[in-house]
Amino acid sequence: MIARPKARLLHVENLSIAFGSMPVVKNVSFALDEGEILGLVGESGSGKSITCRSLLGLLPRNASVGGKIGFEGRDLLGLSSEEMRTIRGRDISMVFQNPSSHLDPLMTLGGHVMEPLRHHFGQTSKEARQNAIDVLRSVQINEPERRVDAYPHELSGGMKQRGMIGSATASRPRLLLADEPTTALDVTVQARILELMRELNRSHGLSIVFVSHDLAVVAELCHRVVVMRHGEIVEEGPAREILRSPRHEYTKLLIDSQPSSLALPPIVRKHKAETPLIEVERLSITYSKPSVLPGIRKDAVCALQEASLTVEAGESLGIVGESGSGKSTIARAIMRLVEPSGGEIRFRGRNIATIRGAELAVYRRKVQMVFQNPFDSLNPRMRIVETIAEPMVRHGLATRAQALERARGLMRQVELPLELADRKPRQLSGGQCQRVGIARALALDPEVLIADEVTSALDVTIQAQILRLLQRLRSERHLTVIYISHDLSVVRKFCDRIAVFRAARLVELGSAEAVFERPQESYTRLLLESAPRFERTLELAGASDE
Amino acid sequence: MMSLPLASTRRQLEPGTFEIIAGTAIILAWVILALAAPLFSGADPNSIDLSGLLQPPSADHFFGTDHLGRDVFTRVLHAARIDVWMGIAGVMPPLLVGATIGLVSGYAGGATDAVMMRLVDITVAFPFFVLVIAIVGILGPGLFNYFVALALVGWVSYARLVRAEVLVLKNKEFVAAAQALGYPPSIIMARHVLPNTLSSLLVYATTDAVLVLLAGASLGFLGLGVQPPTPEWGAMIADGQPYVVDAWWICFFPGLAAMSLGFGFILTSDGLSRVLGR
Amino acid sequence: MPFLFALGQRLLQLIPVLIGISVVSFLLVQLSPGDPIRLLLGDRATAEAVAQLREQYGFDRPLIVQYFSYVSNVLQGDLGRSIRYQLPVESLILDFLPPTLFLIGYVVAISVPTTVVLAIVSARCRDRWPDHLIRAAAILGMTIPVFWLALMMSRLFGVELGWFPVSGYGDGFVGHLHHLFLPAISTSTWLIPLLLRNLRAALINESESDYVTASRSKGLGEGYIFRRHVLVNSVLPTLNLLGVMIAFLIGSSVVVEIIYAVPGLGTLMVSAVLGRDYYVIQGLTLFYAIATVIVTLTIDILSAMIDPRVKL
Repeated sequence: MIARPKARLLHVENLSIAFGSMPVVKNVSFALDEGEILGLVGESGSGKSITCRSLLGLLPRNASVGGKIGFEGRDLLGLSSEEMRTIRGRDISMVFQNPSSHLDPLMTLGGHVMEPLRHHFGQTSKEARQNAIDVLRSVQINEPERRVDAYPHELSGGMKQRGMIGSATASRPRLLLADEPTTALDVTVQARILELMRELNRSHGLSIVFVSHDLAVVAELCHRVVVMRHGEIVEEGPAREILRSPRHEYTKLLIDSQPSSLALPPIVRKHKAETPLIEVERLSITYSKPSVLPGIRKDAVCALQEASLTVEAGESLGIVGESGSGKSTIARAIMRLVEPSGGEIRFRGRNIATIRGAELAVYRRKVQMVFQNPFDSLNPRMRIVETIAEPMVRHGLATRAQALERARGLMRQVELPLELADRKPRQLSGGQCQRVGIARALALDPEVLIADEVTSALDVTIQAQILRLLQRLRSERHLTVIYISHDLSVVRKFCDRIAVFRAARLVELGSAEAVFERPQESYTRLLLESAPRFERTLELAGASDE
Repeated sequence: MMSLPLASTRRQLEPGTFEIIAGTAIILAWVILALAAPLFSGADPNSIDLSGLLQPPSADHFFGTDHLGRDVFTRVLHAARIDVWMGIAGVMPPLLVGATIGLVSGYAGGATDAVMMRLVDITVAFPFFVLVIAIVGILGPGLFNYFVALALVGWVSYARLVRAEVLVLKNKEFVAAAQALGYPPSIIMARHVLPNTLSSLLVYATTDAVLVLLAGASLGFLGLGVQPPTPEWGAMIADGQPYVVDAWWICFFPGLAAMSLGFGFILTSDGLSRVLGR
Repeated sequence: MPFLFALGQRLLQLIPVLIGISVVSFLLVQLSPGDPIRLLLGDRATAEAVAQLREQYGFDRPLIVQYFSYVSNVLQGDLGRSIRYQLPVESLILDFLPPTLFLIGYVVAISVPTTVVLAIVSARCRDRWPDHLIRAAAILGMTIPVFWLALMMSRLFGVELGWFPVSGYGDGFVGHLHHLFLPAISTSTWLIPLLLRNLRAALINESESDYVTASRSKGLGEGYIFRRHVLVNSVLPTLNLLGVMIAFLIGSSVVVEIIYAVPGLGTLMVSAVLGRDYYVIQGLTLFYAIATVIVTLTIDILSAMIDPRVKL
């Protein structure tokens, strides 16, 4: 099967899709050979997911589709919905981004895998169950005999995604469409899912269309790449050729926006202070659920265990870790949004847990935070300029009129057009909202800025802009920054020192260089290896070229 | 809600706008009819005319006359003064009580929340109408006591609704941001949490108005509401009950009136929930 | 057995609620303006007789002592004595209970299947004429005063056409069915729209969910997806609403029972309220509350059995 000469499996010609009168995909053509992995890359609004869904006819009712989708000599667009149904899940399958919402919460994992087997091959439930166990084993789920009866909410995100891949590949399709299948997952989990897809491609000759916003992931996995923007293909070709010598401006921009190739101006730090600005000592945090009756059902979750670290004035400290590592918890503790259950945090030598009243207000002005979710972090009912001005008014730093005036100044500083001042957050883009969040944090003129995953919800080109903005503000305002992220390449670019967290514990702390070049802990090494980095891919590709 | 596909002009409106306009128009029409009842019908709603008992609807008496010869049309209009007021004002006591409890309970959490929620559990254990009847039965009949009973019983739904919304909002980053910026809890609740619960409160309150209206009319029907001879739709239906076989109009028109007002409320509620996007 | 353990915990949680219920029903009589002893003995009783009975009933003791003796009486099944009927309240309740239970069962038996069928039609024909028709009818149904509809129907079907009896409970199962038909229909007219709107919204919401797209991507048929995924997931919220509504029905059947002269708990309640028969009001309120608690508990257990995510 693998040795067979390459045959054309999928041929998309002049595909155009419109919602009502709004075109979202314009004249897209590409092809896929048997056994090939094709990457479909683009930022939000590029039409990549829509293109992918149209291949299976899964578009919403108001979509109109034109062009031709050739699959094994048939035009899929010309098929009746009945005929299409025999192809879906049997010849072409699909894996989606968010495994939690794409699995029926009331159906077991086995049930999901058995469905296509029973439907397309008429297997009895007994046969299908046995096959489902085999499929689950093939997607590397431990104890498949037990997991087959597990409900989605009992499984981890990675496990759910494996299950969904299992359900999609159970009937041995020729083509797998994968729509951002690893976006919601931690890097170590992502690495294993990518490995699984590579394995399916190698051993079963499964062809894959892999849709992603992440150039690095695509570089690592795909043979060929199609770059899309605003519903059009801007460039297409073998992966390493495109990545090494992009021809189109936009592809170049994408590559230059990758954190690893991002050029940030260096920061000249002032003289080094002898005492650290923030000291965190043996900090522990446990969340306990309130119980109805005392003594019953006291579930305590340990979010942070005896973490100790210091933050120097003027430095940028990176905090990295996967979900549940406690990296956001420590930020919230420093902000005094959560109460520590043990240990203490000192700011300029003063325990912040004991400060009250006016002194607390001063502390609040000194330490500010920018949040992860651009839309979630702004009050949807308040105008932009009000949101930025409010802190100054509440802290009595300015009258309302002065505050509104200064807010406009801050908007200029974070490069927000002034005509947005009277808009509501919902009328802004994600990147713009994030700038508002930064401006609001700067309104009190803080010394320390905590940035919690501030770019993780943004497109890579926007991320690059925000990182440049933060770097500029850092040098202009002599800000101390605590930068929290799951993305190692961003942290490496942006931070002087790095703290690695895992499962509520601090596992490694050192200078950025030391942590990246000479990691001491096995977990740090695992993280570094799991993170897709495309210079490495290019190196590898280059080596195997000759 | 009932937009016909043929009505092309309606297509340009945002979905739900039509319902809001139509529903509000019905409610407003009733408010005007209630306020201006004497203008529409000069007769005294309580004037007894023993020479014209149980007259069927005619040009003189649009809705006929009742067993005491009173003009049903006049009485329906004057009754609107009680019933429209009951529907609109009746939702206010439970709304204010419930929203406050829900807001504080959800935002404070912990022991406050636990106590409040047990209180909710206890109150919902009593069927709404039973508890209202029991309270009115003990306090005595009348509109004011009905409102007291509503406040004591009806707050639960509002408290639950607002609390659920607050729990979601509390985890939003803009609330965390407000806390990080050092705003006092009262400001955070008033400026950042409460305004974001208003749309669901509004939607629920307009639906609740129907319940309040119909339950109030039921009380009137049972003789536990406004006392005779003050006209009230429920009480009018009760008056007409013995004569329903021969003089259907005494019962029929007050019920129709209650229905049309309720229709206005629900239409508004449906439109609001569409526009505010639930 | 984790399920039994969870059930045990759930029952423990009921304790404060039950205590609260008993306090409320106790206070209901305590706070009432009239003097129950006066009502019991009539206006012409001597002061000594009143004082004697007051002592006999324990009304001279502190409130908290009275509460505990009330609770201990209730636990022994003693709900007090009706002033009007001169009978123990608990036996009165048992006498009046069957018609009400039958009526509620009847209403549920009519409403649930109708709701399911109409909601499915409405959701599957979304924004086409059957949907518009069903939704318009639902709004209308919600706004009709139940007692008014009951009256109008009794006149039309009972008196005019003579198809159904307009009062009483009838004899035997068929007799009950026949006599309670109009009351059940009038109540259902109000209940069905509430459930219908809820289920329709759930169906539409679920049919737009991601797992439905995922099921389509596997080539499963629309009918199968609807039955196996959408419907099952939509049932839960409606089931919860049904629980709330049954509890509500226990109370709101009052008016319909009055109109059709059904000798049920509602009739008993209204006559007690009008006659200031305090112990009957108190006993009934307590009874209703406990019935509601049981209904809610049953619904919670059912939900936990359907949905693996729901914990008791």
